[in-house]
Amino acid sequence: MGRYLLRRLGQMVFVLLGATLILFACLFVIPGDPVGSLGGSERARDPAVVKQLREQYGLDKPLIVQYGTYVGKLVQGDMGEDYTQRRQVSEILMPKLVNTSKLAVAAMAIDVLLGAAVGTLAALKRYSFLDTVVTLVTTLLVGFPTFVIGMLMLNLFAVQLKWVPVIGDPSDPVQLILPSVTLAIIDAALVARLMRGTMLEVLRADYVKTAIAKGVPKRQVLLKHVMRNSVIPVVTYIGISFGGLMGGAIITETIFNWDGVGMAMSTAIQQQNNPIVVAVATWTVAIFVLLNLLVDLLYAMLDPRIRLS
Amino acid sequence: MRWTVVAASTVLAVAACSNNGSSGDGGAKPTQANNAPAKDGGTFRLGIVEPTAIDPYNTQESEGTLVTQALFTGLTSVDADGKLSNALAESRTPNDDCSAWSFKIKSGTTFSNGEPVDAEAFIRGWTRAAAKDAASDVAYHMAEIDGFDKLQDGSATTFSGLSAPDATTLNVKLAIKDCEFDLRTFHTVFSPVTKDAGAATNKTYNDQPIGNGPFKLDGPWQHNSKITLVRNDSYGLTKAHVDRVEISILNSANADQLEYQGFQAGQFDWARMPTEQLGAAKAVYESKGEFLNWDANGMNYILPITFNGPLKSKEAREAVSYAIDRDAIVSGVFKGFRNKATTLVPPAFKDAYQPGVCASCGKQDKDKAKELAAKAGLTPGTKLYFGYNTGGGHDAWVQAVAQQLKEVLGLDVQIDGIPFKELLKKEQGPEATGLYRAAWGADYPTPGNFLNPLLSTSAINEDPATHNVQGDNRGRYSNPAFDALLAKATGSKDQAERNKLYQQAEKLAIGEDLALIPLWNRTQQRVANTDKWVNLSYDFNENPTLSKVSQK
Repeated sequence: MGRYLLRRLGQMVFVLLGATLILFACLFVIPGDPVGSLGGSERARDPAVVKQLREQYGLDKPLIVQYGTYVGKLVQGDMGEDYTQRRQVSEILMPKLVNTSKLAVAAMAIDVLLGAAVGTLAALKRYSFLDTVVTLVTTLLVGFPTFVIGMLMLNLFAVQLKWVPVIGDPSDPVQLILPSVTLAIIDAALVARLMRGTMLEVLRADYVKTAIAKGVPKRQVLLKHVMRNSVIPVVTYIGISFGGLMGGAIITETIFNWDGVGMAMSTAIQQQNNPIVVAVATWTVAIFVLLNLLVDLLYAMLDPRIRLS
Repeated sequence: MRWTVVAASTVLAVAACSNNGSSGDGGAKPTQANNAPAKDGGTFRLGIVEPTAIDPYNTQESEGTLVTQALFTGLTSVDADGKLSNALAESRTPNDDCSAWSFKIKSGTTFSNGEPVDAEAFIRGWTRAAAKDAASDVAYHMAEIDGFDKLQDGSATTFSGLSAPDATTLNVKLAIKDCEFDLRTFHTVFSPVTKDAGAATNKTYNDQPIGNGPFKLDGPWQHNSKITLVRNDSYGLTKAHVDRVEISILNSANADQLEYQGFQAGQFDWARMPTEQLGAAKAVYESKGEFLNWDANGMNYILPITFNGPLKSKEAREAVSYAIDRDAIVSGVFKGFRNKATTLVPPAFKDAYQPGVCASCGKQDKDKAKELAAKAGLTPGTKLYFGYNTGGGHDAWVQAVAQQLKEVLGLDVQIDGIPFKELLKKEQGPEATGLYRAAWGADYPTPGNFLNPLLSTSAINEDPATHNVQGDNRGRYSNPAFDALLAKATGSKDQAERNKLYQQAEKLAIGEDLALIPLWNRTQQRVANTDKWVNLSYDFNENPTLSKVSQK
């Protein structure tokens, strides 16, 4: 187990190095001078200033040298300075990363709790009125684009009813409700459907029948046998969906003015603010790799037949 | 040039299209009196996008300028009509040939920390912005001052053109004569700074500059979150009336949407609106006097490449201009919220504005267009490149213009939508050809700030190695008679005389040569809470008049 972890973490270093290299290569292919125009606006920079900035940021050097310098600084925890505000990338991104994490964790919590609960209930009361409603609502939600849900919620609860401010303080937990629900709701619907399906299958399984026949109390059958086995595909799904969550976060963050990495990334790409682009992409890869490792560890916990070695 | 940050709200364009073609009168002033009795107090709230900087050394867009102008007061100020007046300067006097200027500074004013604002404070601020390590994007406004080049290349650390014989006199020696130099001092880069401001790289001052303006910061700039201003009660000129200004920083991709929603929810007192919702907003707010609509300092035009390609001759450019139906695009694409342009110098410059100077910009004239095209050899099937930058909301009208050129002249228009940086690179290159979308706003209120950078020969500034254009005249228009008129204008001390010369120059470059093809004015719309505030209007930079606004 320990060696397995070590090996996976070792692989991660190479994945991250590979990611930065690919990003560097890609950014180099994009035409246009990253410091050739003023940050975000439509105006050419003064040639003397362009020259000074190119020197300052090492953009006048060959790509391979730039990459070497970048990696050299990166291992010391220095991600460089951005091209528009000239602030430390880490200083710019840290609060954003915290904000996005809050959003993602809240959304995943809603996903898991709401999705699993609703799915379980629907499976246990199959073909009941509740089950029909769940099927209907989840089908409807899966078909809705995130931004429609977000805009509707914002307009209803913030602009019309004024229950929450349109522009609020991200440290206020109330402000987290609308964006995290927006971000989670489609996934929660998917999780509910997935949960219901697998649960129905497990309920028919021989070992469940055996347990019931042996006279194991119903509660125990449900918790120990049914839940545990139905949750495996759901864990897989959630692991994968985190990537989608980060992508979906761009839209949610935009609608709710949530100052997160998704927004930072989309602006940085438009401005060719490469230090931000490389940093955000690398972080996302790192989080994704770590999360998948976590999912693999969870598998082993849930299903003793799976061995990590 | 001080455009707002480009907004790309296409993802979220939930259309609330209303099709009320408004009257094209533009320039509508807010209805409330601008000199109502002032009552102190209150908190004014609005949203902006994250500025590049609020430290005057690098303040550049409207958003940053809003904050920096609240924090700093320089020698001069400008009203919404582009009229210059003294701020801290008591007099501004050029010598006979405008190679030197002397500014008398109001004595006894201080920074908000108590330090005196004297001539030295100005020299400190200007030197700091012009220094090499500042790599300031706006320091070029000082390029005329003697010693600027040496500061820029790092071979000097003091500004040789600046001197302060006494605390209230600032003498400026110019390397390039300019009778309009005082106009430039209105830009925030010419602000005075305190002693502890240090170099431009001083991060503490960058985030919490101490100034001498009508407001001061209440704590440092909270990046991507908010900036809070409070009234500066020791301000040396007429004090502000509002107690606090709370500025929320919004996501740039849909800031206009968020601002408008915030306004609707009663959270903001001033807001932009998404283009698609202008009609609906006007219907609701105009009758209450809360909808502002005016022609601002700026022009949208097409940049034809005049040294190369199919638009080398003026007849070809005129053919293109006559073929465009501006009226149809204004009502169809912009729902009437733009005003057609027939000049390069916008109507915001009242004294120099000469409507109709571009004859081909009036009504679409298909016959004339065809006739001129035939003369210029712009035959049907000719390939014509048309580049524009994506993400700025230009797609719809670019398509419309291309369609009209195809229809009227039978040209094979090749539309190329690419990111701005890429477009810029193409425009600058020696193989540039055809048409490019472009826009311009003046940094200081003079027609010269349109004509000089966009059309003068010196503004081509070709890099001898790469043959790239480094200046802003990327169409590479060059006409000695035009250059001579501009030189005469900047050499004239009389404002009226200058305006006349600028008008002649515009007649030549636009009226005769059509070196740029005007399309529509920069028309701006805002909603403003005039229910709660009086003296609330817009300034030269399209920002609310924070220093004048007061509670009802």
